[in-house]
Amino acid sequence: MTLCNYNRVLLSKIDRFLGLTVFECNKLHTSSALSAIATTQNPRGWLKYNKKVYPPQKLGEEPRPAFVCHQKCNIKYSPWKMWYIASMVRGMSVDEAIKQLKFTLKKGAKDVRETIEEAKELAVKHHNVEFGSNLWVAESFVGKGPVIKGMRRHGRMRFGVVEYFHCHYFVRLEEGAPPENYYQNTAKAPSEQLQNWLDNMRHRKIINSL
Amino acid sequence: MYLRVGTCTGFHILNNIRCGYILPTVAVQVRYRRTKHWDPKWKPLRKLKVMEVELPKYNENYDAVTEEETKSRLKEQGILPPRPWIERQFHISCTGGIFEPYIPPEGDGKISPITTQGAKQKLQFLEKKTRTMMAIRKIRSFEDDFDTTDFCKTAENIYIKSHEMLALKDKYKIREFITERAYPEVMHNIRDKTINWKFIKSIELPRIVHARCTDIITKENIFAQLTVRFHTQQVLAIYDRFGRLMYGSEIIAKDVLEYVVFEKHLANEYGVWRIHDKIIPDWMPDKEPSALTHKRILRSETQLPDSTAITDTKAAPETNVKLSDNST
Repeated sequence: MTLCNYNRVLLSKIDRFLGLTVFECNKLHTSSALSAIATTQNPRGWLKYNKKVYPPQKLGEEPRPAFVCHQKCNIKYSPWKMWYIASMVRGMSVDEAIKQLKFTLKKGAKDVRETIEEAKELAVKHHNVEFGSNLWVAESFVGKGPVIKGMRRHGRMRFGVVEYFHCHYFVRLEEGAPPENYYQNTAKAPSEQLQNWLDNMRHRKIINSL
Repeated sequence: MYLRVGTCTGFHILNNIRCGYILPTVAVQVRYRRTKHWDPKWKPLRKLKVMEVELPKYNENYDAVTEEETKSRLKEQGILPPRPWIERQFHISCTGGIFEPYIPPEGDGKISPITTQGAKQKLQFLEKKTRTMMAIRKIRSFEDDFDTTDFCKTAENIYIKSHEMLALKDKYKIREFITERAYPEVMHNIRDKTINWKFIKSIELPRIVHARCTDIITKENIFAQLTVRFHTQQVLAIYDRFGRLMYGSEIIAKDVLEYVVFEKHLANEYGVWRIHDKIIPDWMPDKEPSALTHKRILRSETQLPDSTAITDTKAAPETNVKLSDNST
C-alpha cells in the first residue's frame, strides 16, 4: 500500500469513525502495479557489507573469517520487545541460537530464528563458508520500522493516538567458534579476582621501607 | 452526530447483553489490571473506542498475489491497471550459442590412423575440414584481407586482453573483447572474487581448428564463428571475498590447452572478433579441488581412474572461473 493509498484508507476510516465527510485526497502519481502491494523504503546499509571484497592474503597469514550480514524488515512487533530476543542470541553459535529461539515464548523469536536460518544458508551458498554450523552470532540488533498511527476515542470529543510499531532485525554471522566472552566487561571468576588482588598487593610500593 | 451514532450502537449492544446474548460464560474472573472495569459486559464497548486500522502487509509474497487480486486492489484505490506492453525491442549482436560445435578429439587427436577408431577419426576430420574451408571462404567474401595466420595473432591478443579485463573487473572495457552471450557468464563467475591472472607464453602457436557461418532471420545477416586452439602457459590464483585462496596459485605456472570460440557479425560493417565461448570436452579430467575444502566424497564409477578422490562438493560455477579452468 502506498502512502497515498494508506492516507486515503485512514481518511475514510476517520470518516466512518467520526461521521464526517472527507473529500478524496488528490491521487499522487505512482506506478499502478506497485500500488497493489505494500512497499516501504527498507534499510540498505547493512547488506552493503556483504559486497565488500577484501584484498588477497599472503601465504602465512591467518585466514580472515568469513561473515554474512542479513536482515529482516518490517516485522510487526515492538522494537523494544525484540531487543531482548536480539540480545539473547549474541555470542552464541548458530545452532545454539536456533535451538534457544525455538524455546523462547515470544512472538518475535520466530522472525529472529528465520533470519538466522536464512543467513546460515546464504553463508554456505554465496560466501564460501564450508560448514553452516561453524558460524556464530557476531552481531544481532534491532532497528525501528514504520509506525502506523491509529486513533482511539476518549471522552469529551477528544482522541488519543495508537501507534502500531514495526521493527527491523539485523544479524551478522561470523565463521569460527564463538568467543569465551562476548562482552568486554564480563565479571571475572573469583579465583581470577583473588589472583589480581594478590598480584597488586605484591607489586605495591611501600615507601621508606628497606 | 458521530457521538449519537456511537451511543446508538452502544445501546444496541447493551440491549443484547440484557437479553443474555453476550453474557460471559466464565463466572469467576480474576483481574489484575485495575484500569479496566471489573464487569466484562463493557468489553465490547471498550472495543468500539479503538478505530480499526488495516495494517499494510509488508512481508507479503509478491508472486503469491494473483492477477485478479491485484486488479481488485487497484480498483479499490481507483487506479487503472498497468497497460500491457506489447512492443519489445531487441538487438542481435551475437548468436545465442555455438552452432555445430567443434568436438575436440580425445588425446588431442593423436590416435594412430591404422586402428579402426583412428581411421574413423581421420575420415571425420576430412569431412569437417571441407566445411571449415567453405566457411573461411565465406568470411573472405566479407573481409578481403582475412588471413588465418594473421587472425591467430589477433585472436591471441583478444584472448589476453579479455582475461586482463576480467581480472581487473572492468565491466565496460571487457565488452569489447567478449560477446553479449559470454558477458553474463563471465560476470557471474568473477562476482565477489579477486583474480590474479598472468599470461606467460604460448607453448604452441594458436591455430584455427574449426570455422562455421550461419545466417539469422535474413539470408544476408551472417555470423561467423572460429574455434581457435590455444596451448599456453598461465598463472592463475582465485581468491574469495575475504581474500582467502580458493583455487590455483600465484607461483605455479600451468600449461593450458583451450578451444576458444570467436564470433563476428560479418554483415555488420563495424563488427569485431570477440570471444563467444569456450569448448570444454566431456573427457576432461575433474577440476582441482578448491583450496578451502577438506571434504572427502566417494568416487563415482563414471569418473576417470586417474582423477583425484578428493573433489570439491560445492557448486562448480561458484568456485571456478569457467573462462580459465580447462587446464590440462
